[in-house]
Amino acid sequence: MLREHRFALWGALAWFFVLEALLVGAILFWPSFEDNIDALRDMAPMESLKGMIDQLEAGGIVAYVNGQHFFKGCNSVGALAAVVFAMGVVAGEAQRGTLEILLARPMSRRRVLSERWIVGALAVALPVYASTHTIPWLLGFIDEDMAHWPLFLSATHQSLFLLALYSATFALSCASSRPMAIGFGMLLFFLAEFSIYLVQTLTHWSVFRLTDIDAFARIMAQHALDPWITLGLVATTAACFELSQHLYARRTP
Amino acid sequence: MRSAIPNPAPANTTRVPDSTDASHSTGASSSPVIVARAVARRFGDKVAVAGIDLAAGPGITGLLGPNGSGKSTFLRCLYGLVRPDAGEIVVAGAKLVGDGVAIRRRAAYAPGEIALYGELPAREHLEWLLRGRGHGALERALALAARLELPMDKRVRSFSHGMKRQLLVCAALAPEVPVRILDEPTEGLDPTKRGQVLEMLFEDASRGTTILLSSHHLGEVDRACARLVFVQAGRILADETTQAVKSRAARVVRLSFVAGADDARLERAMLDLGGATIAWQRRDGELRASVRVAEEPRDWLARFLSLPGLPAPQAIEHGKLSLAELYRELYGVEGC
Repeated sequence: MLREHRFALWGALAWFFVLEALLVGAILFWPSFEDNIDALRDMAPMESLKGMIDQLEAGGIVAYVNGQHFFKGCNSVGALAAVVFAMGVVAGEAQRGTLEILLARPMSRRRVLSERWIVGALAVALPVYASTHTIPWLLGFIDEDMAHWPLFLSATHQSLFLLALYSATFALSCASSRPMAIGFGMLLFFLAEFSIYLVQTLTHWSVFRLTDIDAFARIMAQHALDPWITLGLVATTAACFELSQHLYARRTP
Repeated sequence: MRSAIPNPAPANTTRVPDSTDASHSTGASSSPVIVARAVARRFGDKVAVAGIDLAAGPGITGLLGPNGSGKSTFLRCLYGLVRPDAGEIVVAGAKLVGDGVAIRRRAAYAPGEIALYGELPAREHLEWLLRGRGHGALERALALAARLELPMDKRVRSFSHGMKRQLLVCAALAPEVPVRILDEPTEGLDPTKRGQVLEMLFEDASRGTTILLSSHHLGEVDRACARLVFVQAGRILADETTQAVKSRAARVVRLSFVAGADDARLERAMLDLGGATIAWQRRDGELRASVRVAEEPRDWLARFLSLPGLPAPQAIEHGKLSLAELYRELYGVEGC
């Protein structure tokens, strides 16, 4: 197994287990959460958080799973995973000086970069599907149930969002030689975006609006992806991928 | 005092044959495998390669030059790792177009700068380096590594600089390709390993492979190369067979005198005997003269030493030149 594949495999496994651990804890906590929802609402320090708890109460277990698994788990850990998988792809090689031996192999630049993109993309997306697939089984422990199909659609929506973040980070990696700077830059971006999300007058400017409880509630209710949002995420990913190829070709040779 | 520079090839004037030309500057009868025409590359204000014309192969050609002379950049251009600003490159029939993948499929390359994945065991690293080279390449690389006694189960981070260099050489010599481009393949190796690597290059070249290697150590490459191309400031300074260079180097005699010796008188005597004084140097309390002679150096020395009234030299050397001395004494320029 090639080193980059091994990194992706171990990274994906770690990302899956973190996600699954969060999911198990959240689902097993649901009965207690449901019983104490009024007290939790009173404890919430911000109106936006109180609003979220209202959404969870109204939506029941479906909204709770959306909030815990997709909005909290996938958005926070997933965004981090997307950055970790992408930031060193080219910038890391340039920093350690191994870009030359990478390029010296008898493969086209496009193939080298495409392979790396695909491996990282799979490492980002597959754990989302895998952990989402365990939700109905975990819900059985608390006598609840959810259908597989809307969960699959939600996982697809979440994966597309993470792939857009991954591809944007990937493009930055193709233009830079400082992977840690990319990582911290993206982390600051996520913090800023999440802060904006919590401010009611600015929340519509946050990218996390695309993957909040409302967004997944619509998917669950309609049993379909929003075509415009899906198209936008796919287009962003494709544009970032092509930008990566362009940036990579410009720096090498 | 310096004499005229003997037979250097003026920059950019090395003759590059076209595809119908049966002979080229090495005198070999086969067509060149590597052809570069007016290749130029600059990085910002710095001109790294200033229009190099070269036709090489089959056999081993050495690209010699001091650090920063443009050797590595030129080799990277040939292999498609650096895109030239101008010029044309054809390697084993493949033109450098696009990202150069056609050339990389027909050639193998060993980089001059060593940067490897330290966390990988050596065997796995070889496998990584040889990805896309066919199934037999790894076996051949492992056989070469065994000859060099490299511990293939150890992680690369535990390797010395020289062992890493050998690993790269094994990876570059393993693929079945007609051309190998090796950037300082013996740099950092001890004399034994250097000899083994040169032996491997000989064997490879004897099978018809074209090898273009760079070095800034004349003593290393004159054993392996049939032809030497001297590079300075991104230009070809001279392009000669190794035999011709050795022959001319053998005609250079170096004499050391005490610092207070009368250099004007010595120089007159040397010129009278038909020597062309190339350079005088005062260093380490000595006066050193490098003289190029037309006849057998021993005969010339015998006549010089028999002249009355001249100070006796403290040391006499001839026939062995470092690259810096070669540049200075054969080409009249400071190379290193």
